[in-house]
Amino acid sequence: MILYACALGLCLAAALLALLPPRAITVMAEVITALAGVVAAVAGVRATLGHGWSAWLPGLLPLGGLRLALDPLGGLFTAITGAVTVCAAIHGIGSGAARPARAVMPLFVAALLLVPAADSVSTFLFGWELMAMTSLLLVAAEHRDRPSVRKAALWYAVMTHLGLVTIMCGLCYLAAGATGDGFDQLRAAELSPAARDVIFLATLAGFAAKAGIVPLHVWLPRAYPAAPGHVSPLMSGAMVNMGVYGVVRVGLDLLRGGPVWWWWIVLALGALSALYGVLHAAMATDLKRLLGYSSTENMGLVLIGVGAAGFFAADGAGPLAALALTAALLHVVNHAAFKTLLFQAAGSVQRATGTRDLDALGGLRTRMPYTTALFAVGALCASALPPGNGFVSEWLLLQSLIHALPASGVAGAVTMPLAVGAIALTAGLAVATFVKAFGVGFLARPRSPGAERAVESPRTAVCGTALAAAACLLLALDPALVLPALTEAVTRVIPAGRPVTGEVTLRLSAITGSISPVLIALALAGAVAAVLSLVRVVAARRPRRPARLWDCGAGPVSARMEYTATSFAEPLQRVFVDALQPESAIDVTAVKESAYLVQRVRFRARVPDRVERRLYEPVLAAAERLGTQARRLADGSVHRYLSYGFYALTGVLIVLAVIS
Amino acid sequence: MVLQVLVVAAGAPLLVGLMRQVRARLEGRAGAGVRQPWRDLRKLARKEPIAPHGTGYLFRAAPPLLAGTTLVVAAAVPLVTAASPLDGVADLFAVAALLALGSVALALGGLDTGTAFGGMGASREMTVLALVEPTILLAVFALSIRVGTTDLGAIVTETANSPLSVISPVSLLAAVALAVVTIAESGRIPVDNPSTHLELTMIHEAMILEYAGPDLALIEWASAMRLTVMLGLFAGLFAPVGIATAGAGPIMLLVAVVAFALKVALLGGVLAAGEVFMAKLRLFRIPELLAGSFLMALLAVAASFFLA
Amino acid sequence: MTDPVYVQALDLACGAFLLTGVLVLWRRDLAAIIWLFGLQGVALGALIAVRGLHEADVELTVLGLGVGLLRAVLLPYLMRRALAAGEEGREARPHVSVAASLLVTAVLTMLAYAVSQPLVRLAPTPATQAVPIALTVLLVGFFVLVTRRRALSQVVGFLLMDNAITAAAFLTTTGVPLVVELGVSLDVLLAVLALQVLTTRMRAAFGGTDLDELRELHD
Repeated sequence: MILYACALGLCLAAALLALLPPRAITVMAEVITALAGVVAAVAGVRATLGHGWSAWLPGLLPLGGLRLALDPLGGLFTAITGAVTVCAAIHGIGSGAARPARAVMPLFVAALLLVPAADSVSTFLFGWELMAMTSLLLVAAEHRDRPSVRKAALWYAVMTHLGLVTIMCGLCYLAAGATGDGFDQLRAAELSPAARDVIFLATLAGFAAKAGIVPLHVWLPRAYPAAPGHVSPLMSGAMVNMGVYGVVRVGLDLLRGGPVWWWWIVLALGALSALYGVLHAAMATDLKRLLGYSSTENMGLVLIGVGAAGFFAADGAGPLAALALTAALLHVVNHAAFKTLLFQAAGSVQRATGTRDLDALGGLRTRMPYTTALFAVGALCASALPPGNGFVSEWLLLQSLIHALPASGVAGAVTMPLAVGAIALTAGLAVATFVKAFGVGFLARPRSPGAERAVESPRTAVCGTALAAAACLLLALDPALVLPALTEAVTRVIPAGRPVTGEVTLRLSAITGSISPVLIALALAGAVAAVLSLVRVVAARRPRRPARLWDCGAGPVSARMEYTATSFAEPLQRVFVDALQPESAIDVTAVKESAYLVQRVRFRARVPDRVERRLYEPVLAAAERLGTQARRLADGSVHRYLSYGFYALTGVLIVLAVIS
Repeated sequence: MVLQVLVVAAGAPLLVGLMRQVRARLEGRAGAGVRQPWRDLRKLARKEPIAPHGTGYLFRAAPPLLAGTTLVVAAAVPLVTAASPLDGVADLFAVAALLALGSVALALGGLDTGTAFGGMGASREMTVLALVEPTILLAVFALSIRVGTTDLGAIVTETANSPLSVISPVSLLAAVALAVVTIAESGRIPVDNPSTHLELTMIHEAMILEYAGPDLALIEWASAMRLTVMLGLFAGLFAPVGIATAGAGPIMLLVAVVAFALKVALLGGVLAAGEVFMAKLRLFRIPELLAGSFLMALLAVAASFFLA
Repeated sequence: MTDPVYVQALDLACGAFLLTGVLVLWRRDLAAIIWLFGLQGVALGALIAVRGLHEADVELTVLGLGVGLLRAVLLPYLMRRALAAGEEGREARPHVSVAASLLVTAVLTMLAYAVSQPLVRLAPTPATQAVPIALTVLLVGFFVLVTRRRALSQVVGFLLMDNAITAAAFLTTTGVPLVVELGVSLDVLLAVLALQVLTTRMRAAFGGTDLDELRELHD
């Protein structure tokens, strides 16, 4: 309680400090934000270990007052936010961001801390709106430097506020059916099934928009590249999690689960997002856009887990449900760790080279050795290969899905194989995506002057990134460390004992299955050491002789001959051509004298977001037409505007009179 | 387990030699003999190590990493004995992921050279890998339903206890799917041609074009081991005859080694004979093949509820 | 025939039945498709014969052999003759690509399983539990009819559906009367003969059997 209040207070102090003129003090703002992160993380961990609390501050907000409570579930998300904040703030020291952006960031952190601790509808909505507003300001922070930022901010503003509206409608409807707006009263509410369905679907839409779930993901690949370097880790590592928190809190906790078809929708949305997100990530050439789509993918995987948990719980298979939810929450933690790391490294790369375009990067291995090594760790974790941390949570998720058969009937038997197939395809494509991001972006030779001139980032940036990498490695080698906290959080909504036990070797309690990430890593290290010593014994002990690369005898290999990210993704693009529908245009300019002599050939290809193209553009076009027509109503005459008000008022009064 | 790793390490080049010999005989050539791969490896290992311009530590780390992952897989998979100390540490999912890790290391090594060949090979390898993954996991799913776990030792022991249960639609469909996957992962015809050096058709060979000397020896050896392990795993899952159980004596182990060698040699011979009569598929026809194997795996899962 | 052996044999026959049906979608080579269809006929015959042996019903066993002969030997022979008569040997460009149609089949399988559950629950015996397989093959046959261009592929699609209906009939009941089955089989034979005559006429008139070209007749 006190720790949590300290964290909020530190955030406010940091925001104020950042506004003060002297430069030295503004640096302190980041330090204090980092401190707030540490305190919040500790507060969150204490809450997950059973030291929960609740408080009611009636004076702070109108109507219901500020009602706060930190239970294990909220504590988990608070702890994640705190940890991400620490890394992001350290990375942001000396980033040279504009003063308003630095002042808003601590407020954003405060909002992120407020949401999981809210214990009433009004507090929750207040925190949610604060989170939306502050993040919007941060996304729009660099709008003067880059025109694309304005468009991204507009998309983000519309999507996030539409989400807010649906959540508000859902929660207010729920509160109207209960005796008050506190979460405890909501849990006790007796509602008709139809009302529950409406509430769940409305809130699901809002939370899915925040988590970047297809088809509400369109803001995500735009907003991340637009946000300043040290903000995008916070958005992707902490903010998108709030969508998952919302689904779990409302669906599994406040509404106490629901019919199978709710969770079927969640699962289907998750599978769709995972596949769609990873396909576009595999095609993307903008590093931050790639990471943004990868967030959609990972949130999709998490929703598969949440959906499966609800599914099993509705079917009465408690232990399996607990396992699926544990897997989902573990993936939330893992995703926060590796995505923070990757976004920070991407921010460093952008600052050093001035570009995010993978086709223009390369050769950073010698120029930015630390960032390269750290990005490699993140890429390994994100591609869900051992010994990365993503592997452990995906393993748990797959285990919970493939053991579903005896428990569930026809629906499970049909859904689970398809879900496993979707996860597997996602995993395979994620590997290709991150091999591309790392191999093309960091290895080989630089493809542009910007990449040629790159230098290693300042020490604070490397430290912040290294901290996230350390968290990744810790989670990868010893996931048992966070399991007690996860178990507490899961037990809060699905009471079914401990789904995963064991320290070195993780054992599943409901079903037979075990894995030991540490021992796999050790075996791997041992095997590599054995191979190396074998090579030393057997092979010729001579120094390596430098040699020319094979250039087909056509002169030295230049950067233009290298494979780019686009060419790397081309085979996959061809395979999934039906799903992606890429666009390409070829202009051939002929010499004036003869149509057969080509002067110039220009080839353009891009992979548009198909959901955006098919779903949003027609809506936007219709809205624009409507707006153009509505403009005729506003011709500039003040009398006319006043008369609108008058007519509207009298009209309403007449209607009221008729009704009563 | 040590025995199993040693058998794989020593026998893998012999298997490759055997397959080349089978192909040579069927094509009417005399062949270089079964021990030729070992002689090649010895020759390569004695050569001078090379560092091509512009390559870095990843280029050098890839071969040992590939060999390392393969050794771990060779230790974790029940080839000779079903009781491995890595049992319970790594299951079938982990084995698939470790094999993928080896491929990733090699692909990064290929990209690190910065040549068009390296990038091309890496890109194609990753495409095939991404499409193979769903089939592997679904086949694992299908095989694990009967036993109720993905633990390899448990699956093999269960099958060994009731060998007739293999003759069921589930196992047959899963076997077809896994066979395609095995061929794709080990880079054999019709997915990839291990003996090609033509730019347009290379996948694996393009990635390792810049490797020479001891590095190349390591990669060749690791690739041979991967093939052996995958054929051995296939044999173990569907015909676990002779695999020793926990606490088996030295004679039993010897029998198991012989049985393993025979099974893998037989599978390798069949594979090599098949390659003689088959052409390599176009790269963009491979997805069709893999989609087919994915369907087989899914049908295997479905059949286990249909006919349960 | 003992029970476990019966179940295993029945499952195998059903598995082969499903596999051959699905493989028809995988291959483009018309000769291979006909060959696969023949194999499916064998599986169907075996399925009926296994049931006959299990119930010690001589008539059913003989019927299985007869159905097998008709569908594994006679019909493929007729189609092979049509193919040899100059039909182009490949299904070059189906309306839906092979990879996509395989994925569609995956979904169709799940659908067949889901909708046939009430049927299975009526009388859960090993035989009725295989009804989803027959339904899957029925859907696959329909899908072949919808997406393939060559007349011969259309014939195979039609025959796949017929095979599936026969299989479903024998799986759900102890067998249709001999007379009915004979009548159905003769109908099928007649249909194939008629189609063969038609394809020959089409080829004579248009020089090919791409069904899309028939659209021109409409005008």
